[in-house]
Amino acid sequence: MNRLAKQDGIVRCMPWRKYAVIYRSVLLENLQYAANIAVGFFSYAVFIYTFIMLWNYMYRTPGELIAGYTKEQMIWYVMMTEMIWFGSSAASVAREVSTDIRGGNIAYLMNKPYHYTLYVMAKYTGGWSIRLPMYAVLAVVIGTVLVGPLPRFSLAAVPAMVLCVVLGLTINAVLKMCISLFSFWIEDATPFQWLYDKLLLIVGTMFPVEIFPKTLQPLFKLTPIYTVCYGPAKLIVDFSPEKCVEILAVQAVYLLAGCGLMFLIYGRGVKKLYVNGG
Amino acid sequence: MQAIKVEDLSKTFRIKRKEKGMRGSVKAIFHPQTEEIHAVNGVSFAVEEGEMLAFIGPNGAGKSTTIKMLTGILYPDGGRVEVLGIDPTKKRRQLAYRIGTVFGQKEQLWTHLTPYDNFRFFGAIYDLSERETEARIAELAERFELGGFIDTPVRNLSLGQRIRCEIVASLIHRPMVLFLDEPTIGLDPVVKENIRELIRQMNREEHTTIFLTSHDVGDIEKLCRRIIIVNDGQIVLDDSVEHLKSHYSEHSLEDIIVEIYKSQEEN
Repeated sequence: MNRLAKQDGIVRCMPWRKYAVIYRSVLLENLQYAANIAVGFFSYAVFIYTFIMLWNYMYRTPGELIAGYTKEQMIWYVMMTEMIWFGSSAASVAREVSTDIRGGNIAYLMNKPYHYTLYVMAKYTGGWSIRLPMYAVLAVVIGTVLVGPLPRFSLAAVPAMVLCVVLGLTINAVLKMCISLFSFWIEDATPFQWLYDKLLLIVGTMFPVEIFPKTLQPLFKLTPIYTVCYGPAKLIVDFSPEKCVEILAVQAVYLLAGCGLMFLIYGRGVKKLYVNGG
Repeated sequence: MQAIKVEDLSKTFRIKRKEKGMRGSVKAIFHPQTEEIHAVNGVSFAVEEGEMLAFIGPNGAGKSTTIKMLTGILYPDGGRVEVLGIDPTKKRRQLAYRIGTVFGQKEQLWTHLTPYDNFRFFGAIYDLSERETEARIAELAERFELGGFIDTPVRNLSLGQRIRCEIVASLIHRPMVLFLDEPTIGLDPVVKENIRELIRQMNREEHTTIFLTSHDVGDIEKLCRRIIIVNDGQIVLDDSVEHLKSHYSEHSLEDIIVEIYKSQEEN
């Protein structure tokens, strides 16, 4: 009985330590494979170079504005959204959850005293903690050399920008996990992931929302595009305290609602679990 | 006191069926057909604290499904389960602190980490303090003789070394019940015997209840006093190993088990 009481006492004292340990373990793993991460730099560089060429062609006169962006702001916007895309690799969350559910591996993860969804989130955070700073350095180097520094960039605003980017990454992973958790009911959630990814990629990542027709813009701002990629990138290229507060508020709402949905879907889905071979 | 109590437990899976060929695939889109499989069907038994029980049966008999319901992974369709007085369907995570699981065919260790880092990881997962974890690692490392490879990444270990580490990882939090699903699969006879001795020792010294499934008769004979045989989701035999052997004194335990499996198939 003492053993039980003691264990219960510890459970109440340190519920978050285990997630920090999961995070640390993934961090250690990723540190071993930092060279592999750098291989992805090539794709990023090619992508950014293509966009630099495109916008150099589109902006014919110095100081010209397209959808309210200068050429430098437009290219930095794409560099920042692509940095978030490449650096976060949120696809790994979707892949891991879908594979765990469909392959039955989730059975061996569920019987540990942690919440499966938070376990996946801790692993994901450990992954981008190495990758994202590496891509951030690459983006700053490419941007400074090929485009020039961002006009009106304020170092004092960097902590708010970082917070906004981190919240965006987390919301994206939570939403992708919600989609993957539908694998408890349907055989394959990949088509839904594809639709979600393409929406983010085309509307918020490659081009800012202002490029699209005015009638669609309010609609886009209600979608995850605003909190995941457009908001954080817009804040970096054109910071204002008012916009920062607005984006953080929307992110808080999205995060709370997303986590609620994630726990709800998981709680319902796990009762439907069918594990291959038993 | 009873460590495990199961009453009239059942679980049914709905499996998709599809006719062969392209025509069958198209037909399955418009008229999906399913079949119900009664994986576990009205199973009842109890296991005393400190007991070592062999829960065996042919492939597809319902062993793993039963273990998964006992550990809270699968939700039963009917019946009642209590493990250490806890209902796994309602308090899975609370139960997880008190039980350990070893699946011989499934790695739970992080392969890029060393066994030592893995044990520290599991210590944290089970909310042990740093001091408790270190003391437990030292104790188990000595008992399981891990000294020579405790700092080698798991991916570089032999199967026997890995299984020893898997068992240690599942014991780090001093579980009261240990579920072993084919723990000696693929091991050579010497390593098998070594693992069995360690399990026996753990049962003796820590009074851990052992729930074992295995196709290896040696595991059953050398570890367990009681045997439950399941087939088609139902218990077909619940007896002591000693009684079973004395009843069929001219046959080995393996022959007896095969005979029971065969007679079930014929029925």
